[in-house]
Amino acid sequence: MAAFLIRRLIQGAIVVALVATLVFLLIHAAPGEPFADSLENPSVSESVRQTWRQAYGLDRPIGEQYARYVAAVFQGNLGFSTSRHRPVADVLADALPNTMLLMGTGLALGLFAGIAVAVAQVRRRGRRVDRLLSGVSLTFLAVPDFWLAMLVLVVFTRLFPLPIGGASDLFIDDFSTVGRIADRAKHLLLPALTLALLYFPIIARHQRAALLETLPAEYVVTARAKGVRESEVIRRHALRNAVLPIVTLLGIAFPALLTGAVFIERVFSWPGMGLVIVESIGSRDYPLLTSSVILSSAFVVIGSILADVVRRSLDPRIGDER
Amino acid sequence: MKTRALAIAALALGVAACGDESARRSTSDTGGTLVISVGGDPETLFPPLASTTTGQMIGDLVYDRLAEIGDSLNTVGDYGFQPRLAKTWDWAPDSLSIAFHIDAGARWHDGRPVRASDVAFTYRMYADSVNGSPFSTALESIDSVTASDSLTATVWFGEKSPMQFYDAVHTMLILPAHIIGSARGTALRDPSIARNPVGSGRFRFVKWNAAQSIELASDTANYRGRANLDRVILTIAPDFNTALTRLLGGEADLIEQVPAANVPDVAGDSAIRTILISSLDYNFVQLNLNDPANAGRPHPLFTDRELRRALTTALDRRRIVRNAYDSLASVAIGPTVRAYPTTDTALRQIPFSRDAAVRTLDSLGWKDSNGDGVRDRNGRKLEFALSVPGPSKARNTMAVLIQEQLRQAGVKVNIELLDFAAFIDRENKRNFDAVFHGWHVEPSPGGIRQTWGSAGAAPGGTNYGSYRNTVFDAHVDSALSSTTLAGRRKHFTMAYQTIIDDAPAIWFAEPKRVMAVHRRIRTPGVRPDAWWAGIPDWSIPAGERIPRDRAIPPR
Repeated sequence: MAAFLIRRLIQGAIVVALVATLVFLLIHAAPGEPFADSLENPSVSESVRQTWRQAYGLDRPIGEQYARYVAAVFQGNLGFSTSRHRPVADVLADALPNTMLLMGTGLALGLFAGIAVAVAQVRRRGRRVDRLLSGVSLTFLAVPDFWLAMLVLVVFTRLFPLPIGGASDLFIDDFSTVGRIADRAKHLLLPALTLALLYFPIIARHQRAALLETLPAEYVVTARAKGVRESEVIRRHALRNAVLPIVTLLGIAFPALLTGAVFIERVFSWPGMGLVIVESIGSRDYPLLTSSVILSSAFVVIGSILADVVRRSLDPRIGDER
Repeated sequence: MKTRALAIAALALGVAACGDESARRSTSDTGGTLVISVGGDPETLFPPLASTTTGQMIGDLVYDRLAEIGDSLNTVGDYGFQPRLAKTWDWAPDSLSIAFHIDAGARWHDGRPVRASDVAFTYRMYADSVNGSPFSTALESIDSVTASDSLTATVWFGEKSPMQFYDAVHTMLILPAHIIGSARGTALRDPSIARNPVGSGRFRFVKWNAAQSIELASDTANYRGRANLDRVILTIAPDFNTALTRLLGGEADLIEQVPAANVPDVAGDSAIRTILISSLDYNFVQLNLNDPANAGRPHPLFTDRELRRALTTALDRRRIVRNAYDSLASVAIGPTVRAYPTTDTALRQIPFSRDAAVRTLDSLGWKDSNGDGVRDRNGRKLEFALSVPGPSKARNTMAVLIQEQLRQAGVKVNIELLDFAAFIDRENKRNFDAVFHGWHVEPSPGGIRQTWGSAGAAPGGTNYGSYRNTVFDAHVDSALSSTTLAGRRKHFTMAYQTIIDDAPAIWFAEPKRVMAVHRRIRTPGVRPDAWWAGIPDWSIPAGERIPRDRAIPPR
């Protein structure tokens, strides 16, 4: 296992370095430069623009900019955001916890709902409930995330006294500790629910297929022959073995914990990484975009390694096969 | 469309009534919270570097100028200017300096007194090239600023000009020297300066939750009297639909600009009223007079003045603007806005006539020789690319209509939708045939030298189409050096008429701003150049307050 981990980590580091280099070169090659908003101001003189370029090192050759950036990153300095006038590390430190909270909650809710729906479908496979839940899953799978987010926002805030976007109340500083927790939960509810509605059909469909493949297995037939109740058979015998595809799926979804869901963050004014990345592309904020991509590609690598480790521990045969 | 037109008509009728009512019912009652929905964070709250609208709004509320421009937006002499940090001012007999007498009661929000040395310090902050203030160009007429005594700051000029008072007071928000100290250049990014402003305005800064909200509170001990409202909170909603939902749901009180398509949504809500503001914006299709492939050569199409005029003639601009903005924009009349007192709104326009355009193009030798619907001459098609910034819905709509109307005249337009950074890049590199551009202008019309004059045609300038006409330049110079409104108006009229006749651009819309605000908020003094300038005098009657108005503001 140790050799496997070391090998995967080295591979991962190479992938992250390549992705970061590629993004750095691509964003510099894209037309436009930082400060585009300000540059449209007719009173900004060329000498002022030159001052800004010098201040951010943008007047140097791209190779030198890259070398300086890499050197700074190795010293723990992610650079200075040109669009937000803040250290990149501060911007990420603000956005990252929000995204992890939202995506973690959304994924957990989606996972729970997806597995529950799959189990319900398998227990009544071929019947009306199975077909109905398949239809519901397919519907949510087909719905564009932006539209669903807007729908959830408008409908639920009209039906219930829930906040319309944002991560916290404007007056949260006046609240007690319990009040603050409750307020955060209230603000989290709708974006997390939207994410769950988007994730659960994927989980449900994969889980249902995996369960149906497992049910004819000899150990399941044996359990039934012993008189174990159907719900027990599915929960204790079939589900445990059918969970591997979901682990792989979660490994793929893991990077989303960091990169966020752009449209959902936008609709719910959730100050997370998705918005940071999109806005940094629009404003050609080179240091912020490159650092965000380094982090997200690192998460892809970590997610993939974690998924492999979990799969190996759940099914030792995977390790033997290699 | 009918509902939308009715709503807009109702809005227009309601504006005058609401404006009067607001002014009359503004009381001395203090209290309440104004929640403004904005699209994003400002980049910095350090005024010399704050170039976004949100950054400038907060700067104007937290800091003071020496004097404030009046509602008439006069920029000649000191007529109409209102005292702020400067209680009075004296002109030198030769008019080469102005001595500003600082209000002895003025205090920074940390309690320290405002001094003349702060004014001199502020000038250095704006003018020092190391700091890279985008506003430094506006201070070029100022030689220096000195502190004659602790409460007298003198602004010195190299030469007399009609706008020297405006130049002295409008750009600079006076900064506290004791807080910023010796910081220069990149040191001004420090959060203690960039994210924690200490000013002397009627609102003081409280806190900034990145990407969520920014809070200001009334400075209760302010030398000009406390603001009526207890606090102003800017809440950030990147998506306009979310901002609108917040407004309609009562979580926000104000959206500064509602697109025409959404006006019926707000007009139909009895808790919301709309305010129509003449904005200082105009947009146009700018034709590149130089060849984008080789800036040293004339453009193969647009160097021909008659062809440019024919393109304008072929376009029904009134219909195009109406389609994009409904009744919330006027057809632009040239490189100016109607809100300027120097603008003659009766400028002679190139009239729409497709038949006339067709005749002109025929006479110029542009004919459809192969029947493909596109005119050609000497093997070159009458075809060009029109670059449009993707985020601007109105300009997108107009571009499509332009494409269709010119197609009917045998001209092919290829629309290129670009993201904003790429669009600006094209302009800066002069790498375009035509761009759908818009300018937001200052209260002073002096910026036209850079945007349309020969001075801005050189690389690095903002006359992206490289239009040059010495007659136009001379009229602009004469207008800007004229000391009377009549003189300025006369010369500007001749300058505008010259450029309209030359048609280096096709003028499209002068949009109006529709602001939506909760009905309980009284809003006297909404200025076209800065709608937020009057917020310290806005109020909420005690009987109409909602729970968040009664929340205790932070100390």
